[in-house]
Amino acid sequence: MATPKYRYLRGYTIDPGFSTRLDTMGVNESVYKIKWEELFPGPIGEYVEVIDFDPANDCFYEPVDLDAKEILAENGLSPSEGNAKFHQQFVYAVIMQTIENFEKALGRKIIWRSNLQWKDGRPDTAAEYVQKLRVYPHALMDANAFYAPDKVALLFGYFQAANRILGSNFPGGAVFTCLSPDIVAHETTHAILDSIFPRYLENTNPDVPAFHEAFADIVALLQRFSNAKLLEHQIEQTRGRLDEYNVMGELATQFGQALETGRGALRSAIGSIDKKSGKWKKNEPNPARYQHCYEAHDRGAILVATIFDAFMRLYNFRTQDLLRIATQGSGILPQGSIHPDLVKRLSAEAADIASHLLWICIRALDYCPPFDITFGTYLRALITADSDICPEDNNGYRIALIEAFRAWGIFPEKVNTLSVYSLRWSPPDLNAAEKKALKLMAGHIKEDVRKIGRMTDRAGIALEYKKVQAKLQRVLVNPAVNAAAEWRREGLNQQDWKNFLKKIGVVTDVKSFTIRHGKERTEFTVNPKLEVHSVRPAFRTGRGDEIIEQVIISLSQSHRIKSGEFKGAKFRGGCTIVLSIKNDLLEVDYIILKRFDSDQRLAAQISYQFGAASLQAMPVSGYDEPGNTHAVNFQQLHLH
Amino acid sequence: MASAVTVNIKMYRVGELGDCFLLRFTSGQEKSHVLIDCGSFSNSKASAERMKEIATDIKKQIGNNRLNVIAGTHQHNDHLSGFVHASSVFESMPPDQVWLSWLDNPDDKKAREIGKDYNNYLRSLRLISQELHRPGFASNEVKNKLDGLMGFHGFSPQELSKKARTESLPPAVPAQARDILQRIGKKKPAYLSPGEVFPLPGLFGEPVKVYVLGPPKNEELLYDKEPGKGESFDPKLAANSTTAQRMLNAMQKISNPGKPDNEEAPFPFYEPFRESGNFKQVWDSYYSKKEAWRTIDLDWLNQAEQLALWLDGFTNNSSLVLAFELVQSNKVLLFAADAQAGNWNSWREIKWKKKPKDFNWLSLMHNTVLYKAGHHGSHNSTLVEGLDNMTHEELVVMIPVDKSDPHITKKNGWKMPAANLYKELKKRSKNRVIRMDDGFSKVKAWNELKGKPSGNSLYWQFEIKG
Repeated sequence: MATPKYRYLRGYTIDPGFSTRLDTMGVNESVYKIKWEELFPGPIGEYVEVIDFDPANDCFYEPVDLDAKEILAENGLSPSEGNAKFHQQFVYAVIMQTIENFEKALGRKIIWRSNLQWKDGRPDTAAEYVQKLRVYPHALMDANAFYAPDKVALLFGYFQAANRILGSNFPGGAVFTCLSPDIVAHETTHAILDSIFPRYLENTNPDVPAFHEAFADIVALLQRFSNAKLLEHQIEQTRGRLDEYNVMGELATQFGQALETGRGALRSAIGSIDKKSGKWKKNEPNPARYQHCYEAHDRGAILVATIFDAFMRLYNFRTQDLLRIATQGSGILPQGSIHPDLVKRLSAEAADIASHLLWICIRALDYCPPFDITFGTYLRALITADSDICPEDNNGYRIALIEAFRAWGIFPEKVNTLSVYSLRWSPPDLNAAEKKALKLMAGHIKEDVRKIGRMTDRAGIALEYKKVQAKLQRVLVNPAVNAAAEWRREGLNQQDWKNFLKKIGVVTDVKSFTIRHGKERTEFTVNPKLEVHSVRPAFRTGRGDEIIEQVIISLSQSHRIKSGEFKGAKFRGGCTIVLSIKNDLLEVDYIILKRFDSDQRLAAQISYQFGAASLQAMPVSGYDEPGNTHAVNFQQLHLH
Repeated sequence: MASAVTVNIKMYRVGELGDCFLLRFTSGQEKSHVLIDCGSFSNSKASAERMKEIATDIKKQIGNNRLNVIAGTHQHNDHLSGFVHASSVFESMPPDQVWLSWLDNPDDKKAREIGKDYNNYLRSLRLISQELHRPGFASNEVKNKLDGLMGFHGFSPQELSKKARTESLPPAVPAQARDILQRIGKKKPAYLSPGEVFPLPGLFGEPVKVYVLGPPKNEELLYDKEPGKGESFDPKLAANSTTAQRMLNAMQKISNPGKPDNEEAPFPFYEPFRESGNFKQVWDSYYSKKEAWRTIDLDWLNQAEQLALWLDGFTNNSSLVLAFELVQSNKVLLFAADAQAGNWNSWREIKWKKKPKDFNWLSLMHNTVLYKAGHHGSHNSTLVEGLDNMTHEELVVMIPVDKSDPHITKKNGWKMPAANLYKELKKRSKNRVIRMDDGFSKVKAWNELKGKPSGNSLYWQFEIKG
């Protein structure tokens, strides 16, 4: 008997609070369509294991068996706050939906962060493969939920709602963070982002912690648009005006209302309730905020608002014609409800835009540097990702993104004009010898990469990743005895090879640094090792259904300052190289550089970590000194 | 025209974390003495002795003059303990009046309500700290951090561990101190609110004005359009108090199963859990030795630290913040106690009584020539915007910090002063920084000023003329 393709699981569309509101009651139950997989009670599957241990009550809640006949036959358990088994089913469904979105956009399997154990104060390089993300739906008796990188786990809390009446909240009732699809998607995204870029936890500029938060919110928001029923309902309610108050742009509404300080949703991308007037107000682009706002969530909210702004621009642009058709050309809708057909068509457009934006937002990750991300760099990655999928921008995505970023005052560095042409990463300018060197390098890993591309077993893939990374490391900086012969065959010499490495940002000689920070001066020399951070093949389809086969390589070098004024600071340099496989040949599409030999970069990082800005940017706790690129602490970040 | 004033500021060397400042304003023949706080972190015998020594010196300094004012800024041990340990000395030199914040006013309904929530919260937190000393909750990291934080409230780790099973501990030192302060003055205490401006008592012709900046009166609720029933006066305080209570209940249930007074409705599920299902795979995973690094048995206790830090911040924000303006020169002395961001940020919105419309908190910052660094120079008690506006050429900074304090010297101890803030303070004052432990460095910039710092084993002092 063939295995089923999908498993259908019922769940909340927004969060439990909306089931007790007449206006949303009808749309708050959805069926999540999840790829079929073998499951044990938990549920425990290939990617996640839900373990429902509640330490504050010192008990395990009985695990749900999603294969049980009575559950299978009814599309899972029905949504209920009082049934722990439903909670388990629900976190599973939302997490799997999120993973699927990522795998589709990235064109490869998600492999969680490995078990990073510390040995003698350094990360143990023999890090172990972690197959399943661990999920604890009732881990904390607290209004908090977070991703714990050191456990490769999601911890969700529950708490008692405030004793006041606000929105649809039940005063004094229990609120479960694991029942908010926004919160679950948000935390899952943290885990996935961390699996791709473990170094985005290093706080090297104010955008880094903000990016983690923003990206998680963006995914949660855009995923919601995939729910057609809810979208149609909201478009009907707002008469097609998605920039008016509606739930599509709100995150964690029940959670926000349950807090004593709550004034509606925890976060909102379209607008918020003005403290003084008590009225809902639309967000207006404010370029000054990016300059002055340093707290991770506030700063992250700027990026979320920017992406949502791009969404609104696209939605308005692409629905003008529909409105004209519906209004005999005036574009001005008459009073009253709009036609159900129009609702359907508007919703279809909105859903299409959201799903494509989500796709670009995720794909852009492959065009980001492996550390030290900034919002401006992310814009460039977005533009590049979209250009790759759709060489001709006939739908305005690129322009909408550029307009939105400009309106919110986010500008990339070292770009002369805000045009698609200059924002898009460019292929490197390689001379003939360097091209040969690149070809040589690529030739060494081509077969391995292809092999990985055909594999489906995640543990096997993880193992192959390690092997090919080690191989590439040897090829680049630790040439075997026969390397010289190989170079000769291609008409290269050692100097050519060095030049090539320099081009891709690898420092091979001793390098001296001088940092001037105010009057202080620190000097040091380093001879950094090269680390091949990742080699990832990806197969994905473009907007025109063409298959794109790529390999993404990230390299990095680092140095930790061991003494003096800036002791503890860790400085990294490196690059992401995107190669594409066309006609069986590897070509380099882009090189995204964060140069290790850049005094300017180092100075900027030092100034952030030790200068006046650090007073605002890192008020994490009284136990930390500035300068350590210590991990962004999710548990503390997620307090409110 | 107001006459010139000389101010002598003494920062007493309490020998650990703690604040004790004696200000003597002289105008012509008249003097006015103001004592701002008198406390140190621990209540050990040595600390108590030191406090007596200091109080005795204060008495000597005042001599035949009057002690015009004692200002008690907030209910933390390191600011008030001296009033308990040296109570007899203070009884023998009663001040004309004690200044406290509006939050200490027994006749203020809002203050009383906040006080009630505050005391419940503190009680839960104290009992949580006691629970953490039980072997069942062997999470040393949280326990130690909480012990440190509870010290601000006057509880020692010894006390918390020894009496782990008792409900009743004697009223903490800060609470006792407030009681003493409320009755010791010759006049009734003044309970000050932000926006008040009045002349410093004891000097003729009003040459010194006092500005009250904090603690804020949380006006946010007035804007709330959806106030529910049973509204509390500080919603966040009430919410965290509930969370602390919940956490305490859970801990007590675990350490005392079946104790009848712990019986309450199960939370979060009404139905009791059943261990009848198929737990095999779940338990295999959770109890796998290889995967032990992923367990979460004690992680939920971490929130105790967050709850304690929050209360600590709340108390710091309840600080009475005073600025003294020397009217003739406009020079300002800023005593921000331990105010954190919430307190600083509220200064912007203050409606000043009897002041022109364009007068605001920045006017005070621009004219600050003496800044008493908040909270021993910790990272979160000086608002960057405030510091950015302390642009006066003659700025001097006093930091009541002692690097030998065990809370600083221990592993992963408190970073006081915070390195980056300390650097900024030095930069802006041209290194004219006076620390309680090390005093000051002899930099040229002192020559730009009329007054010179000096000191002995009891205090560091400095004089401002203006």
